[in-house]
Amino acid sequence: MSVAVEAPPAANGASSSSPQYPDQYYYVDQILDRPGPRTDEAFSAGDPVKSFLREQCKILVIGAGGLGCEILANLALMGFKDIHVIDMDTIDISNLNRQFLFRPKDVGQPKATVAAEFIMKRVPGVKVTPYYGKIQDKDDDYYMQFNIVICGLDSVEARRWINATLVNLVDPENPESLKPLIDGGTEGFKGQSRVIFPTISSCYECSLDMLNKPTAFPICTIANTPRLPEHCIEWASVLEWPKVHADKKMDTDDPEHISWLYKVASKRAKEFKIEGVTWQLTQGVVKNIIPAIASTNAIIAASCCNEAFKIATTAAPFLNNYWMLIGTDGVYSYTFEHEKKSDCPVCGGETMDVEVGKGWTIERLIEWLTENQKIQIKKPSLSLGTKPIYFQAPPQLEESTRPNLEKKVHELIPEGGEVTVTASTLPFTLTLRLAFV
Amino acid sequence: MKESQDIESATVQLSPVLETTGLPGLPDSKERRYDRQLRLWAASGQSALESAHILVLGASPTSTSILKNLVLPGIGAFTILDDGVVEGKDLGANFFLETDSLGKNKAEEAIKHLGELNDSVAAHAETRALESILDDDPTYLHKFSLIIAENIPQRILERVTALLWDSSTGAGDGDADADASQTVAPPLIVVRTSGFLADFGIQLKEHSIITTHSDSAASLRIDKPFPSLLAHAFSLNFDKMDVTDHGHIPFVVILVRVLQEWKNDHAGKAPSTYAEKQEFKQRIVKMKKKDDEENFDEAVAQAYKAWTNTIVPSEIEALFNDPSTKNLTANSDPFYHLVHALQIYTSQPPHTLPLSATLPDMKSDTKSYIHLQRLYKEQAAEDKARFTDILRGIEAGAAGAGGGGSVALGMVDDFVKNAHALRLIRGKKWTGLTDDVEALTLAREMAPAAVATHLSLSALYAFEGKNGRLPKPGDGADREEMTAWVKARLTATGWAPEPEPEDSAMTGADEEEEEPMPKEITLWEHVTNAVGEVSRAPAAELPTTAALMGGMVAQEVIKVITKQYIPIDGVCAVDLASSTTGTVKV
Ligand SMILES: [Zn+2]
Repeated sequence: MSVAVEAPPAANGASSSSPQYPDQYYYVDQILDRPGPRTDEAFSAGDPVKSFLREQCKILVIGAGGLGCEILANLALMGFKDIHVIDMDTIDISNLNRQFLFRPKDVGQPKATVAAEFIMKRVPGVKVTPYYGKIQDKDDDYYMQFNIVICGLDSVEARRWINATLVNLVDPENPESLKPLIDGGTEGFKGQSRVIFPTISSCYECSLDMLNKPTAFPICTIANTPRLPEHCIEWASVLEWPKVHADKKMDTDDPEHISWLYKVASKRAKEFKIEGVTWQLTQGVVKNIIPAIASTNAIIAASCCNEAFKIATTAAPFLNNYWMLIGTDGVYSYTFEHEKKSDCPVCGGETMDVEVGKGWTIERLIEWLTENQKIQIKKPSLSLGTKPIYFQAPPQLEESTRPNLEKKVHELIPEGGEVTVTASTLPFTLTLRLAFV
Repeated sequence: MKESQDIESATVQLSPVLETTGLPGLPDSKERRYDRQLRLWAASGQSALESAHILVLGASPTSTSILKNLVLPGIGAFTILDDGVVEGKDLGANFFLETDSLGKNKAEEAIKHLGELNDSVAAHAETRALESILDDDPTYLHKFSLIIAENIPQRILERVTALLWDSSTGAGDGDADADASQTVAPPLIVVRTSGFLADFGIQLKEHSIITTHSDSAASLRIDKPFPSLLAHAFSLNFDKMDVTDHGHIPFVVILVRVLQEWKNDHAGKAPSTYAEKQEFKQRIVKMKKKDDEENFDEAVAQAYKAWTNTIVPSEIEALFNDPSTKNLTANSDPFYHLVHALQIYTSQPPHTLPLSATLPDMKSDTKSYIHLQRLYKEQAAEDKARFTDILRGIEAGAAGAGGGGSVALGMVDDFVKNAHALRLIRGKKWTGLTDDVEALTLAREMAPAAVATHLSLSALYAFEGKNGRLPKPGDGADREEMTAWVKARLTATGWAPEPEPEDSAMTGADEEEEEPMPKEITLWEHVTNAVGEVSRAPAAELPTTAALMGGMVAQEVIKVITKQYIPIDGVCAVDLASSTTGTVKV
């Protein structure tokens, strides 16, 4: 596969590609002034590539957290000068052990704004445009303006959204519509980075089954046979909170809410002689906290930015297409090509063949969909052509289709019938072709 | 709730909800700041970090990246040694220098911006030249917990590696007379970068790890059940149990019972052939009262544990024969006293490691699980008591011989808990020039790409050492000189350039379109690529390379200092043009 972002010739002189002070790009220029042994022929050494990188290339960073802070600093030093950053969060004290653009005085401020200001102050000549809000607030025109998108997110849902959005953006008639997506993620001493060329190479959705399944405890264990401290905590948050607090929504960022869960879980644990419920464990379970350290973020962010630099400049071949790192036992890393799936609901175009048991009800089919690692969908709605099978919303439609839940699948859908699956959280539809076994 | 603006002054917060419960209060500000890392290395790792003082030779972009990743998690103190002044090129690649820094001392400027990342870290600048310290004040280096040398010229680097290696008498030397004067020099991490390429290695005499955080679980002793477990397995009347209870018997109990019954029928032997193993699983399946008894499914899935022999793992056995264990003296590192105690412990029946108190979750009801958990905890406590008795006996003997000290109880706990996953690393003196022919021969076969990266960086150092200057970027003659140097190193290992593969594509007569086989890249091609990359930008401190090395080296520092997780054993080579890394033992 060889996809290169074309570096157009310099427009008029090298105005903003010139450094702010002598030798600002002394080191980066050594790489850009001549090709290496593995550099593609398309590489235009010297001024053309510098002018593209420093005057024309526009890059979007999604997330200004652990990875985002590192990504922004790297991009600025590598010579990207028109950087945009989106983040919907504000700064929390627990961010300070790794998000190095923030100080204690910034706690409570929007991450995107504080990070952008810091970068512009530290690296002269770089423009960072922050947006404090959700990626879903922005439309196709917004995403169309960028040459490259880098994601440093901790949310699977947000990644799926941007991935699907960039895949949908691709117009075969317009090469500019293909936006390389670089994605990074970390957990403790481990992490991965990858390069996605939407519609051309394996996308985020193609590899969904590689994710660790979030630990979900069966409700009967929580309710009847708790064995672990986690079971007691789940009992407090899933069963007791709604019972006691009725309409009041649980806010996992509110320490008093965590304290309440901790208190209730501790009482239950004592009753069952289970040891190990602590405040920190309670918080970890209900917030699904993933351990995070600066060093792993630095590795993964550097890898993402190195790939962005190689894509923007063709100074060296870019990653094809997945790099994973495990730092717990020595340094182990693995570079491989993750295969595109022809039945990927986002980039595959083919319908997904599904074998359905003869006795399955619509409810069972929905349950199967929500449990499937390849699909990972919450609250799916089903239809056959234009005919609704079951809709989660609006309420009238939910009510009118609810009786179908009890019905057998084959009563409503013929063999080989194509079922359209949608979910409000995801910007794509999935088509299933059913076979009864 | 708004966080306090000044986290250092914030202490334990009051929680009205917890006030009358007798439960501990909310985590304090430090616990909240470090929450995401305490989940990885706990308070013990954190306090090790906070007691450490790191010295970094050179205020390069890579050095400040490494330090950033150590200051944020709260290393105790760091010192940057650099006598140079900030130039434009430093500023452009180093996030921790500002325009104001131009013309000022690099170390002093860098510590300003690194220090502000974390108020609880002490930041020092050392503005003397490294060579004058080596000449006049060599013991200066010994006061640090760990030293990092980045892109130090070969001539000076060799003095540093020699000073730290030769003055350090690791217990592994087995020289009992050296005890009195035993000094352990700080570990040294040598980092080298050039454009897209980089490598690093740790020079340490020996490094023992108890808390390895290994993924491998300790044996549940199903094949060698301790008395109370065996008694419990036979105290239950499976047949008379009601369906609910039967569906909640923990799989451990099922396996212990079925295995014992099997042994009774098979002259005391566990299943060994494929047919026997299948038959064993069938026995379990037949015990089901209902089809959906998941605990019995779990027992079938875990049945291999019944014929997995619980023995002392060979890696642990190797520790018993380590010179440091064999030549134990009163002043030996506590680790070897613990290993020696373990050796005696395992020489006694049942010839296993002490039992681990941790029982994984399994299908069961609360009562059965908690009861089983209690059996494990009680036996683990008993095993630990027997182990501790042996250890204290050794210590008493040593005290009689003039030695002293006893291993702290917390360390004994950790040791017993992790006895199945202990690790000892014995390093080598750093020689970037790789004179070890045997090691290089093995490495070039195992990891040709990593060897090529490593050797081309060494060639760069050798070039600088010989010519007193760096190669000119892109210069053909300089590149040839480095290539020749690498070739000489490889030839010394008996290597000869692979013959050019014949171009068979044209001679192929068959018309069918075949997928071209991806061509295996030869060692020589790797070398050509790597030397070519070094020649392209010999001294380039690429910010992304610096950042990536900053992360990798900081991970290693954390692992070495906390004595948790496992540091690299050898040299890690990084090629960011091909987005690959590899570790070679050279
Ligand atoms: Zn896809």
